[in-house]
Amino acid sequence: MNHLSSYCHISTKEIVTDKGALLFDNTEGLEVNDFLKTVYKKLAIDYPKFYKMDSLSKAAFLGVELLKKENAALAEYADDEIALLFANSNASEDTDKKFVNSYAEEHAPSPSLFVYTLPSILMGELAIRNKWYGESLFVILQKFDAAFFADYCNMILLRNAKACICGWIEITEGKTEAFIFLAEKNGNENNTPLTKQTIEKIYKTIMKQSRPSKV
Amino acid sequence: MENLKEELKKQIIEQLNLEDITPADIKNDAPLFGDGLGLDSIDALELIVLLEKFHGVKITNPEDGRKIFSSIDSMAEYITKAKA
Repeated sequence: MNHLSSYCHISTKEIVTDKGALLFDNTEGLEVNDFLKTVYKKLAIDYPKFYKMDSLSKAAFLGVELLKKENAALAEYADDEIALLFANSNASEDTDKKFVNSYAEEHAPSPSLFVYTLPSILMGELAIRNKWYGESLFVILQKFDAAFFADYCNMILLRNAKACICGWIEITEGKTEAFIFLAEKNGNENNTPLTKQTIEKIYKTIMKQSRPSKV
Repeated sequence: MENLKEELKKQIIEQLNLEDITPADIKNDAPLFGDGLGLDSIDALELIVLLEKFHGVKITNPEDGRKIFSSIDSMAEYITKAKA
């Protein structure tokens, strides 16, 4: 059976992992983009393009970097054996508004903002950064749906992919939430099975423990 | 002209989100693309917007972009000539 290997959760307040560890605590109350930049610097990653990404891509980027740190085996997969499956309910709304503002108020539409007015661009950033060329899918849902992730992820793992990085990632004004997890093919009885029930249980536990992310 | 070059460096850093770079890191004659600041095609579009937004200068022929944006020196020269 396929299994859920590990996960991390990012909010404006904190970043936690499946080990229950609080990795970063936004005690200073930084705005989401500044908080994500602070985390990037603390992780000592050298990837200047990070600064040019919108907050949605930044959060996905950091979530995946954290999963890579916890799961060295990810580096063992071939470049087309890692798939990406992401979803949210607001697409790229936060960046869309900033882009509208760039020409409505500043009379200068920003090309670099325009690039991020599609949520699926975050998967492009992950593919470029990690040279992952597996299947990818970004879906807009009304709300977090554990069944969607379980069904699609298991289906993707039936094909060429041996691992799939999944993410429910929402960044809107006043709300930041990124739940990113790694699913892998063929675990053993000690692993967490990749089912609707286990995904839902983990997500609900995170939401219960997570402090409010409104800033 | 020197003031304009310093102004351009600050504007490029801010508009292109080059957070790890200071104006002192950008040499006037160093290439902005490729081995220089490592800017990409989206940055090139941002530079066109920057010229118009902050300096009121339009690039009418896109073919000229490669030459104009080759360095801070060439950008400053183009702005100065366009405003003369």
